[in-house]
Parts: sequence; structure tokens; C-alpha cells
Amino acid sequence: MGKRPPITNRVRSLREKHGQMSQAALGEAVGVTRHTIIAIEQGRYSPSLETSFRIARLFNVGLEDVFGWEGD
Amino acid sequence: MSFREKSAWVMGAIMLVTGVWYAQLVAAAPQAPVIGLLIPYVLPVIVLSIIAQAVLAFLSPREANARADERERIVMDRAGHWSGIVLGLGVIAAISMYIGGWSATLLVHAIVGALIVAQLAEYLFQVFLFRRTI
Repeated sequence: MGKRPPITNRVRSLREKHGQMSQAALGEAVGVTRHTIIAIEQGRYSPSLETSFRIARLFNVGLEDVFGWEGD
Repeated sequence: MSFREKSAWVMGAIMLVTGVWYAQLVAAAPQAPVIGLLIPYVLPVIVLSIIAQAVLAFLSPREANARADERERIVMDRAGHWSGIVLGLGVIAAISMYIGGWSATLLVHAIVGALIVAQLAEYLFQVFLFRRTI
């Protein structure tokens, strides 16, 4: 609890590459709130596998193009 | 601040204020019939909660109607789990005091007090977890 998960992500850069998609729009598209997208982008929350797939599929990339393990 | 965090702040404040009010009622008449003290406590809690939730929903209608997402559900589940521990400890304390010589009336008030404290703790845990995230 409170420890940052060792998972990195490129959600913010992917979102910006996709026409500066807003956090709210991304959240709505994948079924979470804007605050959850903010927490994911800040690395404070690791989304569920389902939400991770939804994000990757929305951006037409693989799961590992969005998420990575810290240090890899 | 998300709708659910705002709601937790507001409901926590209501529980705190009405909890202090209940403690004052009990302190003023510790052996009065329980129902006579519960009604003046429960009614304001219900009315204030309805007003607070209506105002919050009016200010953020979309968020108010949306289902909790996965992170919010985890926060609420964990806060509920921790507050259950608070409630358990409160009930054990109340029973201990009853065994130690408190009247049955005071036992009921102590258990109601444990419920109030546990509910307040749940909202505080929610705020803590929403701010810290999971």
C-alpha cells in the first residue's frame, strides 16, 4: 500500500500522439474515471488486465508497448 | 477531486458533527431510554445525508450517475474492510465495559458509538486511499 508499483507506462505519450486525446476521453473510452487515468499516468495505480488491454487496443498497440517493468 | 472523494469528505464531516451531537445527548442523559436519544440523532443524519448527496449530484450529475470504476471499487472495498476492524474493536470495547459494570443502556450507546466511529473511519480511509491511490 502506497508503494509505487514497479510498472512503467506510456499512456500519456500515446494519448498525446492520438490527437491530444484528453484524460477524460480516454477514461470514458476504456471505462474508468479521469482520476484513474491520472493515477495510471503518474504511476500510482496499476490498472487491471482488462483495462490494460482496453488501453492498448484503443491505441492499436500491444500490451508491452503501453506497459513495461521498471528497469527492463 | 473526484465525486466519490468529495462525497467521502462531506459524509465524513456529517458523521463527525452528528457523532459529537449524539455523544452530547448521551452525556446529558446517560440513562434515558435509548430510543429517545436515537431518534434525534438518526433523523438529522438522514436529512443531512440526503441534502449533501443531492447537492453533490446537482454539482456533478455525470459523475454522480456513473458506476464506480475499478480503482474506486478497490478503495471502497479496502476502506470497508478496515472500518469493519474498527467496528469490531469498538464492539469488543463496549462489551468489555458492560462486563465491567456498565448498564445495558450504556452498552447500546457504546455500540451505536462504535458504529458511528467505524462509519467515520470508513470515510476517512476512503479519502486517504483516494489521495494515495492503491
